[in-house]
Amino acid sequence: MKRWLIASLAFALLVLALPGATLAQGSQEVRFGIYAYRPAPIMYERYQPLADYLTGRIGIPVKLQVLDQEQMRKALASNQLDFFLTNPSQFLVIRSERSLTGVLATLVRRYGEAETASLGGVIFTSADRDEIASLADVHGKTVASPGRHFLGGFQAQALELKEAGVDVFRDNRIKLVRSHDRVIRSVLAGAAEVGFVRTGILEELAEGDGSLLSRIKILNRQNLIGFPYVVSTRLYPEWPVAALPHVDSDIVRRVASALFAIESEFPAARSAGIAGFAPPADYQSVEYLARELRVEPYDQLPSLSWSELVRQYWGWLSAILVLLLLLTGAMLWLGRKKRELAVEQQRLRRLIQSWPQPMLMLRNGAFVDSNRAALELLGFAVPQSLLGKDIATFSPQTQPDGSISRQKMQRLLGQVRAGEVVQVEWAFLRSDGSQIWVDMSLAPVREKDDSQPWVLCSWYDITRRKEAEQHLRLAASVFDHAREAIFITDLHGLVIDVNDAYVEITGRSRASAIGGLPPLPLEEGPGVFSGARKNGFWSGEFVSKRANGEPFNMALTLSGVRDEHDAISHFMGIFSDITRLKLQERELRTMAHYDALTHLPNRVLFTDRMQQVMAQARRQEQLLAVVYIDLDQFKPVNDAYGHKAGDELLVEVAARMRAELREEDTLARLGGDEFAALVVNIEKPEVLESLLTRLLHAVALPVRVAGRLVKVSASIGYTLYPQAEELDGDQLLRQADQAMYKAKQQGRNRYCGFGSADS
Amino acid sequence: MHRRRFLGASLAAGFAALGLSGCDAGRPLRFGIHPWIGYEPLYLAEEFGWLPSSVTLQKGQSALDSMELLSSGAIDGAALTLDEAIRVHVDGTELLVVGVTNVSVGADVLVVKKDIETLDALRGRRIGAEMSSVSGILLLNLLATAGIERGEVTIVDLPMDEHVAAWKQGDLDAVACYEPTASAMVGLGGVRLFDSSQLPETIFDVLVVTRKFAALGQGSVRDLLEAHFAGLRHLVRNQADSIYRVATRQGTSPAAVRSALASVMLPDLASNQRYLAENGRIERVARDLSRMLEREGLIPRALEVDRFCDSEFLPRSVA
Repeated sequence: MKRWLIASLAFALLVLALPGATLAQGSQEVRFGIYAYRPAPIMYERYQPLADYLTGRIGIPVKLQVLDQEQMRKALASNQLDFFLTNPSQFLVIRSERSLTGVLATLVRRYGEAETASLGGVIFTSADRDEIASLADVHGKTVASPGRHFLGGFQAQALELKEAGVDVFRDNRIKLVRSHDRVIRSVLAGAAEVGFVRTGILEELAEGDGSLLSRIKILNRQNLIGFPYVVSTRLYPEWPVAALPHVDSDIVRRVASALFAIESEFPAARSAGIAGFAPPADYQSVEYLARELRVEPYDQLPSLSWSELVRQYWGWLSAILVLLLLLTGAMLWLGRKKRELAVEQQRLRRLIQSWPQPMLMLRNGAFVDSNRAALELLGFAVPQSLLGKDIATFSPQTQPDGSISRQKMQRLLGQVRAGEVVQVEWAFLRSDGSQIWVDMSLAPVREKDDSQPWVLCSWYDITRRKEAEQHLRLAASVFDHAREAIFITDLHGLVIDVNDAYVEITGRSRASAIGGLPPLPLEEGPGVFSGARKNGFWSGEFVSKRANGEPFNMALTLSGVRDEHDAISHFMGIFSDITRLKLQERELRTMAHYDALTHLPNRVLFTDRMQQVMAQARRQEQLLAVVYIDLDQFKPVNDAYGHKAGDELLVEVAARMRAELREEDTLARLGGDEFAALVVNIEKPEVLESLLTRLLHAVALPVRVAGRLVKVSASIGYTLYPQAEELDGDQLLRQADQAMYKAKQQGRNRYCGFGSADS
Repeated sequence: MHRRRFLGASLAAGFAALGLSGCDAGRPLRFGIHPWIGYEPLYLAEEFGWLPSSVTLQKGQSALDSMELLSSGAIDGAALTLDEAIRVHVDGTELLVVGVTNVSVGADVLVVKKDIETLDALRGRRIGAEMSSVSGILLLNLLATAGIERGEVTIVDLPMDEHVAAWKQGDLDAVACYEPTASAMVGLGGVRLFDSSQLPETIFDVLVVTRKFAALGQGSVRDLLEAHFAGLRHLVRNQADSIYRVATRQGTSPAAVRSALASVMLPDLASNQRYLAENGRIERVARDLSRMLEREGLIPRALEVDRFCDSEFLPRSVA
C-alpha cells in the first residue's frame, strides 16, 4: 500500500508540473460531496463511515463534504469536488451546467429488511386537520418544503398536485425551510398547513419519536407492494453518484467498483441507512418531471435558434409560410381587385354621367342621383336642382291623358315597387316653361333586405316625335276629310292611297283604286306624269268616267312629292268634280247667243256669224244676202190672245222659216217680231227670190194658237254682199232694215231689195 | 388453459367485479384486458388518468374472458396473443390487429430432462404442452425449427396446471410451458433447452378491435393506442415507479416484475409501425400461424383476409 502511495504521489507531482493539470490528479485526497438533505451533523455522522470505507478501498483519503445547494454549486464551480451524491433534480441542474461523466451508480436505500432504489414524495398534514383530506384540499394552503431543488421534498409533490388540479406555484404559499426536519417541525407547530418531505424521512424520525406518525396524516397515500416507505407520489430513481470530468478515470473506476462492492451489512451501509449502490438507473422520468414543472434546468424555455426551429418545425413553418404567402397574395389580389373595381366604378359613373340618354335614380319617389343629360333635358345646371324632389315637381299639373301628374306617378311607383318595369310617356315642364315629352322607363333595383327599392329611371326625349305625330295626324285628317279627291301614286303612276272623296267622286272602292291608274285625260294618258316630273306639277280639266260609266268633268292637279334628296318619290293628285260647273258654263253661253223663246241665234250671235260669212264670201268671191224680216199685224194677235199665244205664234213662224232655209244659212231673232237671216253662197238672184217667196208663204199660213187659227204676214227687206264699196255688218243690216221698211210701205206681205224700187 | 389466465389466477378477486361493470354510454371502445406484463401500459395509463373517457377497460382474469366477450359482442376489442386473436377471428368475429404490446423473448420455455441435450434428441420422446395455448405455438415452432416431423414425437396435450404433477410422475420427457411453471420445472431437475428468445419475433401479444368497431370508432381506437404508449413510456422509462405498481397489481414482488420485464420485448411506436406494416412481421406470422393451427386441427380454417393488421390507428408521435 505504501509503495502504491509513493508511486501515485510521484505521478501526481509530475502531472502538477504540467499546466492545466487537474486538481484531483494532483491532490492527495478525493473530495466526496453529499447534498445536505438532513442537518449537516446528522449527515456527517451517517456518511463518514462511507468515506472511510472508500478511503480504505481506493488508497487515497476520501474527504466527506456535506454541502447545501449553494455550497455545492460553488464547490462545483471551482472544481472543489471530485465526486458527489445528490438528489436527481440537483443532479440534472448540475449536469446542465457542466459536463459530467454520467451517473456512476444509483443509491439503494434500506429500511428494515426492504431495499429500494426508488424515492418519492410525501404530502402530509397535521393529524388534527380534518379540512385537509385529499390533494384537492391542498389548494390555497401554506406549504412547508425543504427547497425547490428537492425532488422528494418538492418536485414530486408539485407534479402530483398539478395532475390533481392544484398548481402549487400559483395556488399556495410555500415556505422554504431548507431541511426536511424543519418541514416536519413546521407542520407540527402549525406554521405550515401542509408539509412536503421525501420518502424515508418520516420513518427515520419516527425511530427517535414514536408518536410522530400518529400526529400526522398522509395525503394521497400510495399502496405499493415492496416499497418500504409511506409515499404520496409516484416514484423516481434514488440519488445518483457522479464524478466530475477532471477526475482520473482510474480513480473513477476504483470508486465505482468500491461503491458496487458495498453490501448491506457493511458498517458504511448500515450507518448511512443504505443497502449499497446499484447500476445507474434511468433518470429520464426526472427529466420529464422537471420539464413538466418547468423547474431547473428546464425553467427557461430553450431559445430555439432559427435553424433548429426550421429543422424541427419545417412542416408547420412551411405551411404557415404558404398560408402567409397565400394570404398576402389574396390581399394583393383583393387590393388590386378593389382598385380595379374603383376604376371600373369611376368609369361606369363617368359613362352614366356622360351618357347622352338621361338617367336618374329615385328613392322614396325622390331623385337621389342624375346624369348630365337629365339635367340638360330639364334645363338645369346643377344636380342639386333635382335631388330630393319628385317627378311631379317637374311635370305639368296634369298629363295630356288628363290624369293628375302626382297621382299618376304615385300609381306607377307602386307598380315599380311591386317589381314591375314600367314604361310610360310623360310630359315634363322644362325650367324655361316649355313642355317636353319623354318616354320614361322606371325599373326597380332591388337590394337585399331593402323595403324601399331604388328605382332606375331613364328618359328618352320624344318631343319631336310627338310634334311630328301631331303634324301627321293633322295631315291625315286633311287627307281624310278633304272635299277634293286626293290620290297618291308611286313613281310609275300606280295608286297607293286615295281618300274618301276620291271614292265618292269616282265611285270606285278604295281597294279597286289602289294598284291601278288614277283618272287621266284621254289624249295625254300617263304622259301627265312626265309633265308633272318636268315642271313639278301638271294641271288640266278633262272628262273621265265614273265606275258606273257616267262621264264627269274633273279638274286635276298632279304634283311630284319629293323625298329628302329632293328627288320625286311619289305623285300626289288632287281633283274635283266640275261637271255641274261645265253645264252652267254652257247654259250661260247659250243664253248669251240664242233667243230663249225660239232657240234661234240672237243679235250677238247673228252679228258674229255675219262677220264670219262676210269674210268667207270675200275670200271665195261668193254672194251672200242679209235678210231682215218683220211680222205684220203681230201686235193685235198679242193683244187679243195674250203673250202666250203671241209667243206660240213666234215659235211656229220661226220654225217654219228655219225649215225653208238651208243648213248653212242662219236665221236669228233680233227681238220682238223681228228676224234676220244670212243666206250664203247665192249663185243666182232668182234662187234668192224664190227663197224669199217661200218665206212669205210659210209665214202667211194660218197658225193655231190658243185654240184658234190666226193669220199673220211678213215684210222682208234684203241686201247683197259684196257691194261696190266695202261695208261692215252693221251697215249691211241697216241696208236690209231700210229695204224692209220700204216693203212695209209698199203694202206689206212682200219683199223688197235695197237699192231697187221693185219688190 | 391459457397462460395469461394462469398468471391472473392469483389476482385479487375484486377486479372481476370491477371489470364487468363497464358501461356503454356514448359508445366508447369497450376493451377487454387481463393481467399480463405486456398489457400493463394500459393499466398504468388508467391509473394515471391518461385513458380518455372514449375507452373503457373490461378487466377480466384471463384471455378466455376477453375471447368470450369478444365473440358475444359485449366488447369491441381486447388484448390477446396473436394466436388467440386468430382463433376468435376464424370463429366469426372479424378482428383487426391495431397494436403490438410485446414480443416474447424467453417467456416461453421448453424444459427437458437432463439427458436431452439437443433438440434432435427430442425424437421419440413424450412432450407435454397445452396445445390450445401459446405453449402449443412454441412447441410447433420449435419442432419446425429443429426439422422434427410431427409423427416423430409424442405430444401429450395437457392443461398447464397438471404439468408439474405429470413431470413428477416421470410421464414426460419435456414440457413446453412458461413462468412460473418453468421455474418450478427447473427446480424439479429440469433443464431449459429452448425458449422463445430463440424464435425471434414469433410470439406476439397484440391489441385487437373488431372490424366493425374499427370502421366506426376510429377516434376511440387512436385514444386507446395513445394511452397504451403513454403507459408504456412510464413502464419502461420510470421503472423506479412502475415495477412497484405492477407488482402491487399482480400481487407479486418488484423483483419478479423486473424479471418478467426481461422476458418480453415491449416494442415502441416505431417498432409497432414496422410490425404492423403491410406485409410486415405480424401479417406474415399471422398467416404462418393460422396455417400451422389449421394443419394441427386447432382451428377449422386458415385466415382469409387481405390484411389482418392495420397501422393506421397508431399515433403519429408519443407525447
